Amino acid sequence: MIFLIQQTLLYAVPLMIVALAGCFSERSGIINLALEGIMIFGAFVGVLFVREMQGNEVYTAAKAAGDWVTLQGLELLAMLVAAIMGAVFSLLLSFASINLRADQTIGGTALNLLAPALVLFFIRIIANQNTLQMATGGAGSWFMLKKSTFGVDKATEWGFLKEVLLNKAYLATYVCILLFIILSIILYKTKFGLRLRSCGENPQAADSLGINVYRMRYAGTTISGALAGMGGFVYALTTANCSSNGDVAGFGFLALAVMIFGNWKPLNIAMASLLFGLFKCIAAAYTSIDINGDGIYALAELGISSHLYRMLPYIITLLVLAFTSKSSRAPKAEGIPYEKGQR
Amino acid sequence: MKRVLAFILALCMVFALCACNSGDDSKDPKVTDDANGTTVTDPDKIPDEMTSDDGKYEIAFVTDVGQLKDKSFNQGTFDGVKLYASANDKSYKYYQPANGDKATDDDRYDAMKAAVDNGAKIVVCAGFKQEAAIRQAAAEFADVSFVFVDGYPVTESTEDGAPVLKNVAGISFQEEQSGYLAGYAAVMEGYTKLGFTGGGGGTNPACCRFGYGFVQGVEAAAAEKNVKAEVNYSWLYGSSFSASPELQTMAAGWYQNGTQAIFACGGSMFASVSAAAEAADAKVIGVDTDQSFESDTVITSATKGLASSVQWALAKFYAGEFAEIGGVGTALGAKDDAVGLPTATWSLENWSVDQYNALLKDIKDGKVVIDSDWNNLKSTDNVTVNVIE
Repeated sequence: MIFLIQQTLLYAVPLMIVALAGCFSERSGIINLALEGIMIFGAFVGVLFVREMQGNEVYTAAKAAGDWVTLQGLELLAMLVAAIMGAVFSLLLSFASINLRADQTIGGTALNLLAPALVLFFIRIIANQNTLQMATGGAGSWFMLKKSTFGVDKATEWGFLKEVLLNKAYLATYVCILLFIILSIILYKTKFGLRLRSCGENPQAADSLGINVYRMRYAGTTISGALAGMGGFVYALTTANCSSNGDVAGFGFLALAVMIFGNWKPLNIAMASLLFGLFKCIAAAYTSIDINGDGIYALAELGISSHLYRMLPYIITLLVLAFTSKSSRAPKAEGIPYEKGQR
Repeated sequence: MKRVLAFILALCMVFALCACNSGDDSKDPKVTDDANGTTVTDPDKIPDEMTSDDGKYEIAFVTDVGQLKDKSFNQGTFDGVKLYASANDKSYKYYQPANGDKATDDDRYDAMKAAVDNGAKIVVCAGFKQEAAIRQAAAEFADVSFVFVDGYPVTESTEDGAPVLKNVAGISFQEEQSGYLAGYAAVMEGYTKLGFTGGGGGTNPACCRFGYGFVQGVEAAAAEKNVKAEVNYSWLYGSSFSASPELQTMAAGWYQNGTQAIFACGGSMFASVSAAAEAADAKVIGVDTDQSFESDTVITSATKGLASSVQWALAKFYAGEFAEIGGVGTALGAKDDAVGLPTATWSLENWSVDQYNALLKDIKDGKVVIDSDWNNLKSTDNVTVNVIE
């Protein structure tokens, strides 16, 4: 059970934060199809940052001394760098779609095509291979919080809650959840959030009230880029052993699906990504999931083909979208370039 | 707007500069030992790419699926090329067939042709998947020699009775012996719940031999210690020999349920398994080369002498004795010191190097015979094999 919850969180959290990224951009009126590309770019930047910093004396010494606080600091710093570069990367989309009034779908697709190529090109130069890994060790020994991190013996019993939250978990997961809550509140409970959302519904009306639509849309896509870049790095850190290979297994597109399925609302998005994460986790680990702790691996003993389990996340998405898409309500003005003189 | 653009541009330039710098660092040939006349023995100190004066590269290396620096099969084989070339002052170059994991026979042939066009006299090809490409290339370039690592003699065509190509030397290994030693060592060390995750989806003969040998080793040691052992045996998520989140989750699940050590048998798959092991403070068994440098979780590695066998074949070629190995298959095993566990980095506490050497000697002398037909894989009294598919 503990295993199931933890693995679900690992898959769900990057999805959740990237879906919120999409939400921010679309609420301001820009379709951000480039989530996948920005994730790839963010993952690369974050991993590269970690790799370069590993050689730094401060961190080498911290690792040798088991000083986990410093290492968590490095993790947060890498998240920050990934977020900044993700935001910079997303400026390409903002510029094309806000200033040049280009088709947003095509602009996003272009970034999706550009990112893996660019990233692989750099990885080739830097590491002379297809995958950029950490210089030494792995995510598990450097960044993961576990019993040995806190100097506790592996066999100690911690109780359910502490096991779930602090054993074999990443700080990044909790930072993302916290950010998710804060940003959702900003989007719905602040003046800035209201203005941002109004630009996605009726920009002409917003403009007539003195809101700078261009600036709001820039803000929306830049926050979106930062979150997606960070989400990309968190994905690479927690599920890909802190490595980057120009691929995030389609998580950016999945996040788009989660966003639509969540009806552009943060709470629904969180639920949707948990559901999706759960099925992703079942697909990969159904043979070792022991739901009620009685030593019986029910899912493995059902005798259902492993292919079916691996299809489940996608089948569920299709089904759910088919049933919920009727009631889905996209921001009205999304995808339409804003021109001042137009009414 | 101009400011924003300038900002992006500046960032791009800084970024590109960083990238270039670190690139130069890694390629910077720190082969200073050479100047003193001593031979470099650490292959990592020899650059992967060299520039020859006449633009020709005599020794070519064509990689298997997976990346060059996989810290395993490709890298181990290429180390042999680099070591021989640097010791004997030959030019060398590596070629990666196009389309990565989905390379076709044509992609591999193109890589070999490019090698020959660049002046290759001998082409080292890694991986049994290169058979068809070698058949085509070796027939076309009859004056170039080919070394087929993890391979066998290749005929001119697929028809029965077709003559064997004399310019192809097939080198294979008795991986089952190496796997046997690793499995035996793990159980003697005190681990009874083990895992095996192999690459190639069960179609790669080398991985199949490793896995079957591993189970036999576990069985033999469990019988000797009179304990019951359990092996999770899977080919899932490894068909492209690469790391993946799914593989990591599966390994994490195994460790969660009590598996103590997993034999990660397939190039870059190691990264996923060792990540799961680091999270669970559990153990990994490496493959092909000594992987204890990659992670603290490695207890031992089932190695095969890739680098040494390639050097041996290259030496034969340059001594003008290629005819001895061309057109025949050479199976290297314990008797040739081509398989085994690395003793220099021994970390096992309950099973000593002496005991290992004694077992190795028994295998050499034929006292311990290990079956290489992996279709015989099954559970026995002492070991339960859970095949996961």
